[in-house]
Amino acid sequence: MEPAAPAPASPPSTTDDGRPAVEVIVAGVQQASERKLARRENWRLIRRRPSFIIGVFIVLVWVVCAVLGSRLAPHDPLDFRAKVHLPPSADFPFGTDKTGRDVLSRVIAGARDVLKIAPAAAFLGGIFGVVLGMLMGYIGKRLDLVLSRIVEAFIALPVLLLALLAIVTLGNSAWVVLGVVAALFTPIVARTVRAAVMAERDLDYVTSAKLRGESSSFIMFREILPNVMGPIIVELTVRIGYAVFTISTLSFLGAGPPPPSPDWGAQVSEGYNSIAAGIWWTTFFPAAAIASLVIAVNLIADSVQSVLEAS
Amino acid sequence: MRRFLLKRLLSAIVTLWLLATIVFLIVNVLPGDVGRQILGPFATQESVAAYNERLGTDRPLWQQYLTSMRRLFTFDFGDSYATSSPVNDIIFPALGRSAKLAVLALIITIPISILAGIIAARRQDKFTDRAIVTAGLATSSIPEFVSAAVLMSIFCVHWKIGKVFANPPEGTSLLGQFPYLIMPALAMAVTYFGYLARMTRAGVITAQNADYARTATMKGLSRRAVMRRHVLRNALAPTITVISVQIGYLMGGIIGVEKVFNYSGLGSTMIMAVGSKDIPVLQGAVLLVGVIYMVSTLLADLLIAYLNPRVRLEGV
Amino acid sequence: MTDLAVPPADSPSATSALEVDNLEVVYRVRGIDRVVLRGVSFTIAPGEAYGLVGESGCGKSTTAYAALRYLPRNGRIIGGRVLVGGLDVTAMSESRLRQFRARDASMVYQDPAQAMNPTIRVGRQLIESFTLLGQSNSQASRSAIEALRKVRIADPERVMDRYPFQLSGGMQQRVVIAMALACDPKLLVLDEPTTGLDATVEAEVLDLVRTLRTESDAAVLLIAHNLGIIRSLCDRVGVMYAGRIVEEGPSAEVFDHPQHPYTVGLLRSLPRRGVRKTEKALDTIPGILPLIGADLPTCVFVDRCALADDTCRTVVPPVVPIGTDGNRYSRCHHVDRLASLAETPGHVAISMLTPDEAHPGVLQLSHVSKTFHQRSTAIPALVDVDLDLAAGETLGIVGESGSGKSTLAKTMLGIESLDMGGRVALDGHQLAASTVDRSADDKRSMQMIFQNPDSALNRSWSVRRILVRSVEKLTGIKGKEANDRVEALAAHLRLTPRHLDLRPRQLSGGLKQRVAIARAFVGDPRIVVCDEPTSALDVSVQAAILNLLADLQVEQQTSYVFISHDMGVVRYLADRIAVMYLGRIQEIGPTDEVFNGPNHPYTEALLSAIPDVDGGVKARIRLDGEIPSPANPPSGCVFHPRCPRAIEGLCETTEPPLQQAGSGHLIRCHIPVEQLVELQRKPSVDA
Repeated sequence: MEPAAPAPASPPSTTDDGRPAVEVIVAGVQQASERKLARRENWRLIRRRPSFIIGVFIVLVWVVCAVLGSRLAPHDPLDFRAKVHLPPSADFPFGTDKTGRDVLSRVIAGARDVLKIAPAAAFLGGIFGVVLGMLMGYIGKRLDLVLSRIVEAFIALPVLLLALLAIVTLGNSAWVVLGVVAALFTPIVARTVRAAVMAERDLDYVTSAKLRGESSSFIMFREILPNVMGPIIVELTVRIGYAVFTISTLSFLGAGPPPPSPDWGAQVSEGYNSIAAGIWWTTFFPAAAIASLVIAVNLIADSVQSVLEAS
Repeated sequence: MRRFLLKRLLSAIVTLWLLATIVFLIVNVLPGDVGRQILGPFATQESVAAYNERLGTDRPLWQQYLTSMRRLFTFDFGDSYATSSPVNDIIFPALGRSAKLAVLALIITIPISILAGIIAARRQDKFTDRAIVTAGLATSSIPEFVSAAVLMSIFCVHWKIGKVFANPPEGTSLLGQFPYLIMPALAMAVTYFGYLARMTRAGVITAQNADYARTATMKGLSRRAVMRRHVLRNALAPTITVISVQIGYLMGGIIGVEKVFNYSGLGSTMIMAVGSKDIPVLQGAVLLVGVIYMVSTLLADLLIAYLNPRVRLEGV
Repeated sequence: MTDLAVPPADSPSATSALEVDNLEVVYRVRGIDRVVLRGVSFTIAPGEAYGLVGESGCGKSTTAYAALRYLPRNGRIIGGRVLVGGLDVTAMSESRLRQFRARDASMVYQDPAQAMNPTIRVGRQLIESFTLLGQSNSQASRSAIEALRKVRIADPERVMDRYPFQLSGGMQQRVVIAMALACDPKLLVLDEPTTGLDATVEAEVLDLVRTLRTESDAAVLLIAHNLGIIRSLCDRVGVMYAGRIVEEGPSAEVFDHPQHPYTVGLLRSLPRRGVRKTEKALDTIPGILPLIGADLPTCVFVDRCALADDTCRTVVPPVVPIGTDGNRYSRCHHVDRLASLAETPGHVAISMLTPDEAHPGVLQLSHVSKTFHQRSTAIPALVDVDLDLAAGETLGIVGESGSGKSTLAKTMLGIESLDMGGRVALDGHQLAASTVDRSADDKRSMQMIFQNPDSALNRSWSVRRILVRSVEKLTGIKGKEANDRVEALAAHLRLTPRHLDLRPRQLSGGLKQRVAIARAFVGDPRIVVCDEPTSALDVSVQAAILNLLADLQVEQQTSYVFISHDMGVVRYLADRIAVMYLGRIQEIGPTDEVFNGPNHPYTEALLSAIPDVDGGVKARIRLDGEIPSPANPPSGCVFHPRCPRAIEGLCETTEPPLQQAGSGHLIRCHIPVEQLVELQRKPSVDA
């Protein structure tokens, strides 16, 4: 076959059975329930993607772990002690760590913190980012020039570095971690929103709103916002993944919530020095937990994005 | 072109200044008594005050800010709180070691990811494409320390390939360092593979769907010639941008990998500075990463301008 | 549908340059195959030019690309053959196909700016076409320069050294044509080659194609939605509708005596032969264009045809030969009853309102200028514009890109603020420069209808919300009353209550534009600025929108500022016309006077550039060079560098005065009016 010419725009609307459109005087309506159909169609397309199903399944597993926590864990994640460094077995499927605690129980319990902080940080950063991006994209001009520079400066550094710096000065409570991650995500979200808003700003519906005297905030949040929700949703989902990424790396580096909380990153950090001695399970299972959650969230984000982009 | 270069350079300087200000603000304006932080809750108020005076952290903020700006432009960050040796003597050798790792990682990952991206684009929506995209998504979303730990478990412990401790002994030849560096470099390469491959794929797909690619096909060029002469040159700009951004991030993002492999690069230096609340070292290291980011994105923009005459001639 | 798709006339495939035989193509969209071509057949003899014409989605471009076997990734040929010079293109191997494209067939595309690689110099792209033929580099380079000369590029060496984006649209298209002609093809496919180019540039490109045809014996397949272009360039034409050719024959005959209900309807919905809104309403075709993949088992036009009966709904119409030459056919059961179509209702004259003498000028613009500032350069987009608009009057504004017509509209409305020293007055009181500072009443009084309804309507709002919000903001009426008002207005514009609860995306283009019109009219505006309101619409939809605008004007005494590049449309609707060039009004006057002359030389060129559906022969006024950048306007008369009648020593130094050429007819030119009359009487500058 040929190397792709752009696919023709999908017909604006038609039903699958191709019934002729309802006739009116000059032009026609094309199936009243079309929008619902389109929305249902999007949802159907998303649900059909295997990557979405896998992603949702994994996330759900961790949500269950986070909600049920210690009730689901076979042992107490903090106080239970068996022999140290027992390899995985029927009694301890993930083995025990250097103080004899059950790795499985600790991995299950570790889901709670990360699932509380990561989405909260992503959403908080998302909200600020949307407002900031809106202002930059819509108001533009000098405000945009100044804010863009600042955003660029923030983006010039890995989020991790700045987070580390901030946590050193502010201390490492869960609230600080949440706030710092949210603050550092704000410019990143803002950049995405800005680009989306700039594509909308010059469309004629905005001009028309100005012509009837709408305020800037009305135009930004009532007229434009609904039209840029697609990229915002995708960005937020991606950010949740990155929040998990960042928070677990912070705890691995010792800047997360203080021990002995059963945090995955902290568990890896406690265990990795023993890998050389052949004790891999104390590191591997929490590492796999992090990996699975981050990958799952990104699989979901990717599915949502490809379906939204296609429609 | 000169105008473009000048504009770009100026904006890089402004960004760097802003960056330094942000770092300054984080370190100084947010509540927190540096002396108290370092000396701990049991030190006497007098010793904290004396310490603060020695560090200069008791002076008015604007004075501290000026000092900090002077340090940025002279690139001299004073002495480490922890060891009292000049910050530059700590961060530059560390940077050299990190750079070695980063370069090795890029040498591994760039050709493989670009190739994978092109293949994926050529087989768009087929199985190969899906596999590459999903693999890229997975590897790029895992934190580096996780892939490092997993790679270490598998290669170094299970298969006994590569070294668990990546610091080569003093005086090892460059070639001799390879077995030490390869595992951490691989861990980094795995992470960046995903970004690069996906970006290349997107660029190639856009370019091969463009009208000019259609024109080339209709001229009667073979698929290979269309790809080589018309698509790639236009497709690679976003990939170059990503690579340049990643170079900056590599320097800072390898903290996790360096820690897992106990490698004494810039990352480990920063971890140590975090542990001892050694703010000058941290500040210097962070700004160094910022400078590297600036330089590499600047170079990338120049490369893109070279590849795209429109950017070069009109500065758009 | 396949068994009845008989090739039209006797067509010995060995002698035809292109033979498309019962071609069927589907696009796979969301997992379902949608039929795009339903058995398309036609042949083109060597040296012949064949046009395919039709509205959007009819499959004309798909046919063109399928002829060179280039389909979108989701497209597939499911039946039929394409023979070029007797070779079956659909059955070629990949390498044979490449060779075929390199040597036997070429294409010219719609958007020349995109069709060339932006990162490679023009010369190298052109040379590539020649090296593919086996020429050495130096040989190819010589051929490339020769090819550029052939497409009338004066300075080929310099152009070779440029990048595509450094050339103007007209130059780009010349280069693309040169590339296409490199192999001296047997078949040249032109897909909307002048869409998107300015009128005078379009005319030059068409002239070039016409000349090149005499120099080559390539068969030409021309795709265009503009009937005038087809008529002026093609020997024969096929009219496509919903993936099938419904009528075919010699261009002049088809356009003068259409023999299919669709062709009849299409031609009648065009404002032709200088018809004005005062003479008749335009005909429209009821219903909407079928969507891609619609199920049309018998006649494709049956749902919209006034002649349709049970036969049409049950039997696929046969190929009915027209005349005795065997070169014309129509696919209709009722060719004999076409005469009855001529009597379709709608010939209702619209009475034009004479601008009210007691209220001269609802809107007055005096010394209006607008300068944009980009980096450090000032770009004068509007220069010292004076205008008056009477109640109930339509002022047409025409001009090419960079003429400032859209800026003029935006400046009136306060979307852009005018420069100091100018004045925009509504009913005698000065309006604030920016919309934001205007009173609610002033905002209500001036509204706008945009070119592209997709962009003009918020896609996440329902039609009802769009309209109610406008009522509330513009009139102050709230709640249920606002809703009632919207429903009444919607009904008046033939939007049903069902439409109100839909989103714009669910409406056809014509309905969307109706919503946009309704929105502009919610507050009984005094003035509505229409910025190319029909140029995004198909011809059959355009007619209904123009009728609606005319009706509303009669009822409400609204004044229109009507911006358009389509002279036919402007002539139909406008009472007066202003011709703009580089931000200046060059000529303004009553429509008839502007069309009858005497004219400003630019207007003269513009008028002569229109390809006429009715085949009227005009002396083409050739313009030299490109439209200058507004950032760097020529001295003296801004038109002098391109003016064929420029007076040396005068025009390049002195800005010409506005001179009276009739009552209310002003021309900005140094040449005395009497002399213009004399010059323009005979076809002086030969095409």
